[in-house]
Amino acid sequence: MIELRNISKNYPNGVGALYDINLHIGKEEFVFIVGPSGAGKTTLMKLLYRDEVPTTGSVIVDKINIAGLEQQQVPYLRRNIGVVFQDYKLLPRKTVYENVAFALQVTGCPRSQIRRKTMQALELVSMLRSAKQFPAQLSGGEKQRACIARALVNNPPILLADEPTGNLDPATSWEILQLLDKINKRNTTLLVATHNKSIVDGMKKRVIAMESGRIIRDQQLGVYSGNL
Amino acid sequence: MVEAFTSFRRSGLMSMITVGIITISLTIFGFFLLLVLNTGNIIGEISAKMDVSVYIQKNLSDSEIAAFRSQLVSLPGVEKVTFVPKNEAWRDFKEKFAARFSLDDVVEDNPLPNTFSLEIRSTDLVEKTARMAKQVDGVDDVRYSGSYLENTKILVDAMRIGGFIFVLLLTFATLLIVVNTIRLTVLARETEISIMRLVGATNSFIRGPFIIEGILIGVLGGAFAILILKFSYDAIAARILSALPFLPVVVDKKQLSTIYIMVSALGMFLGMLGGYISVSKLLKEK
Ligand SMILES: Nc1ncnc2c1ncn2[C@@H]1O[C@H](COP(=O)(O)OP(=O)(O)O)[C@@H](O)[C@H]1O
Ligand SMILES: [Mg+2]
Repeated sequence: MIELRNISKNYPNGVGALYDINLHIGKEEFVFIVGPSGAGKTTLMKLLYRDEVPTTGSVIVDKINIAGLEQQQVPYLRRNIGVVFQDYKLLPRKTVYENVAFALQVTGCPRSQIRRKTMQALELVSMLRSAKQFPAQLSGGEKQRACIARALVNNPPILLADEPTGNLDPATSWEILQLLDKINKRNTTLLVATHNKSIVDGMKKRVIAMESGRIIRDQQLGVYSGNL
Repeated sequence: MVEAFTSFRRSGLMSMITVGIITISLTIFGFFLLLVLNTGNIIGEISAKMDVSVYIQKNLSDSEIAAFRSQLVSLPGVEKVTFVPKNEAWRDFKEKFAARFSLDDVVEDNPLPNTFSLEIRSTDLVEKTARMAKQVDGVDDVRYSGSYLENTKILVDAMRIGGFIFVLLLTFATLLIVVNTIRLTVLARETEISIMRLVGATNSFIRGPFIIEGILIGVLGGAFAILILKFSYDAIAARILSALPFLPVVVDKKQLSTIYIMVSALGMFLGMLGGYISVSKLLKEK
């Protein structure tokens, strides 16, 4: 599903963020990317939805090298990749329902399908009750659920979550991870970047550990820290 | 479409400010168009009056008129001779000024002379023709518009070119203002645009509502500008006409509405262009 070959990434200002990355992630896998802040987790995610292009190497998503994708093709790639952020990025002046439906509207989805798909996504994340509320009225966990619903409303085969629990308390973080696990079991490839140790250790998934732009460990049923 | 209207309503204050600024720029633009139109008209009128007036005090019989006419026509450069009898001139004069005061109380007799108006083919000949006309028997006085006539052609050309360049510069300045004000409304929605891109909206889809909003703002600004221009111009024109009746202020509906249409078309076009340029700048940044 996802393959990174000989990736390196230098930002225009000369900062090197990734070195010599080779990685294969299969269909419907659940993968944690862990490491201290500045390790390159966000940069790696950005390569996958073409928010950044690698300096060298190829990024293959669903058999296509998206590093060489034409600019006009990028929107169609994005419709197949859902992205979830630490800061949610919800539009404050739209309700939860409108925020989720927005992702369908702007891709030109037929009106008749918008309502049905939006309701399905909200139901999946247990947010039907809060559909008419504005982001400011929601708890952190609820905001993250709304953000996940928006990422999923197009039924993308891949979901990327960058520090999804960064602003949440441990109990809520755990709930969000349960939700992501449920989504993964519904045939979605899942990548979660985090430095939340207890969650990673609790979930027992594949763990890719990064440090200073390099992969230092890649382990099935792994834990956060490597000295096992 | 719906999206554009909704956003227009939601970002009410910002849009109002933008409309206000565009209204002001378009009003200034329209004001200068009107100024150019009027100056052109006045100069046109002056240059059309390259004529020599020949005054004859005494009353003339029909045969005397014919004799004068044939003598004047034979002068060099004369293209046309028009006879204005003194009674007619007096009546016209009184009509023109009747609104202000009644002349009959002040002047009892017609003080105006009989006038032959000579149209001269070329400015160079005006002086010479005037001199020769003065020598004709029975002519009391000859007047012509003086030496500034020679410069009118240059002046007309200078006005036309200057006015054109000025309007061009003004259009460009207005465009800059419009682009920058619409850019404010676009920047205010930067997050929205970044999310649109994130969830896979195409660039043309993202541009659409902003272009429509730009047109909306431009048309509104244009409409307000026209209202302001029309009312103030009508008021000013009426004032000038009553104070200086001989000044050829343009009141022709057709010419004026051409200007108003130009102003609103410019508003719409600038709004559209402004919307397009502002979003494109933002889209290119990433
Ligand atoms: N837009 C950018 N421009 C320049 N340097 C950046 C940019 N984004 C990240 N970096 C740098 O790249 C490195 C990796 O950052 P990042 O991928 O955000 O790491 P993480 O998400 O693991 O904290 C850091 O040194 C960071 O300062
Ligand atoms: Mg990060």
